[in-house]
Amino acid sequence: MAEPRFFSKEWADAVREALVAGPSEQAKEGKLQEYWDFYELIKSGYPASWALGCRDLPAELGEGPAYLLVQWGGGTVSGCQIIGPDDPLDATYVLRMDYADWKALHDGYDAQRTVMYRKVLLEEGSLLEFFKTIYFFVESLAIIGTVAADYPALVGS
Amino acid sequence: MTELRSPTAVLREGPRALTDEQVREIEESDLQAVLDVDIDDVIEYVHRDLKSLPDFTTLYRKYLKQRWDVYDLDFTQDKIDWTQKMTEDERQSFIAISSGFHHGERQVEIELPVFMIGASEEEKLHIAAQIEDEARHTVFFDRFYREVVGMQGDDIMGVLDASFPWVSETFVGPFGLLAYQADELRRNPYDERARVRYGTTYFLWIEGVLALSVMKVTLSYARWRGFLPAYYTGFTATCRDESRHVQGGMKYLQDAVRKDPTMINEIHDTLRTILSLAGVASRRIYFEPLGWTEDEVTVLFFQQLRRKLNDVGIDLAPDIEELLQFVQPQLAGG
Repeated sequence: MAEPRFFSKEWADAVREALVAGPSEQAKEGKLQEYWDFYELIKSGYPASWALGCRDLPAELGEGPAYLLVQWGGGTVSGCQIIGPDDPLDATYVLRMDYADWKALHDGYDAQRTVMYRKVLLEEGSLLEFFKTIYFFVESLAIIGTVAADYPALVGS
Repeated sequence: MTELRSPTAVLREGPRALTDEQVREIEESDLQAVLDVDIDDVIEYVHRDLKSLPDFTTLYRKYLKQRWDVYDLDFTQDKIDWTQKMTEDERQSFIAISSGFHHGERQVEIELPVFMIGASEEEKLHIAAQIEDEARHTVFFDRFYREVVGMQGDDIMGVLDASFPWVSETFVGPFGLLAYQADELRRNPYDERARVRYGTTYFLWIEGVLALSVMKVTLSYARWRGFLPAYYTGFTATCRDESRHVQGGMKYLQDAVRKDPTMINEIHDTLRTILSLAGVASRRIYFEPLGWTEDEVTVLFFQQLRRKLNDVGIDLAPDIEELLQFVQPQLAGG
């Protein structure tokens, strides 16, 4: 079965399923239960939304900037969809990454370092509020990275 | 040189009174002589000037006298101690702690330049010196990991990649926040409120609390056991550098609040975010092989934070006091 294309509706649906399911047993191994309890505590009451942008989405994927809008509510993902450059964008936090960094995350680059090295940046929203739940965000970003997707090679790369 | 004490003795002794001779020894020792300086004296020295903070030009002049050459260190004996004298438990505890510094020094080096843009001319001198210090500390850990621990890499990032598996998942709390606050300053370098929030994370929390607390754990172990002389020398010299950084940072925050008392709200809001994360650990670190317990490290954290705040006259709001009850050791620094 072919993998869904990155930033397609099918991919957004798969991301939603993965985020609802939460981290894998493999991801949980090696980290203390109290860390995952904190993750679950945040997840259970998280009311915010993330617009995760790709600044330079290749033309064959629809051209950027485009966003994966993840809405949280009631302890689950209440919405997960692709927002195109011409669509209205309404999210608590707007973050952006380059296509190459999205692909690197998918290829196994660490989600914590993706944040720490500013490969993903918060461009709209309260920074201090966003960071109160940063562990939840990083683990969610790691989950998104594991979702199978077809990432076309960039021309010239 | 003071007599050798157990690593945790300072927790029971309380603040030390440094003699003029001890202060002179700390301030004027060249790199080789730093081996004989007691790390507890250096940490006390950090606080000595907090009540009457030196100006930025004085700090810059101290830097010119105290800068050291990281390539003068000889890690030959450290390699012998690491491979032949230290136990596997000691090595694992040590590396679990020092990896936070390996990555932390790199982070505080690269996130500092944007803070300089909005600074006064005198403070710019101090910050430029601090950036050079942090670059030297980054090289210090690169050399330690290559030449003593035996990690390989084609370049500095290659060695950082090799030690990253020892870095806790919660590292992203303070250091990710700093990275994003640096980006906030990149976009608005003269936003004084953003600068105070950044300064709270960088100077008060990362350097004033995390770094000074955790530095003491590995350094007091090395001194107590008589191991790792080049590590002790280089990292104690690093601690002396940090004293200038913390004093400069506290001066910046103190001046900002004196100029505009509402700036205290920015400090409090930043601490609320930091402390709401500081109660969570993702890994259990065993301090015992290095002569410490987790509770003792936590006490050290509290001591460091309270002394900074008290000395520079920053009061905490009641809800922040409450958050402090849940703080856990964060093994990182810069």
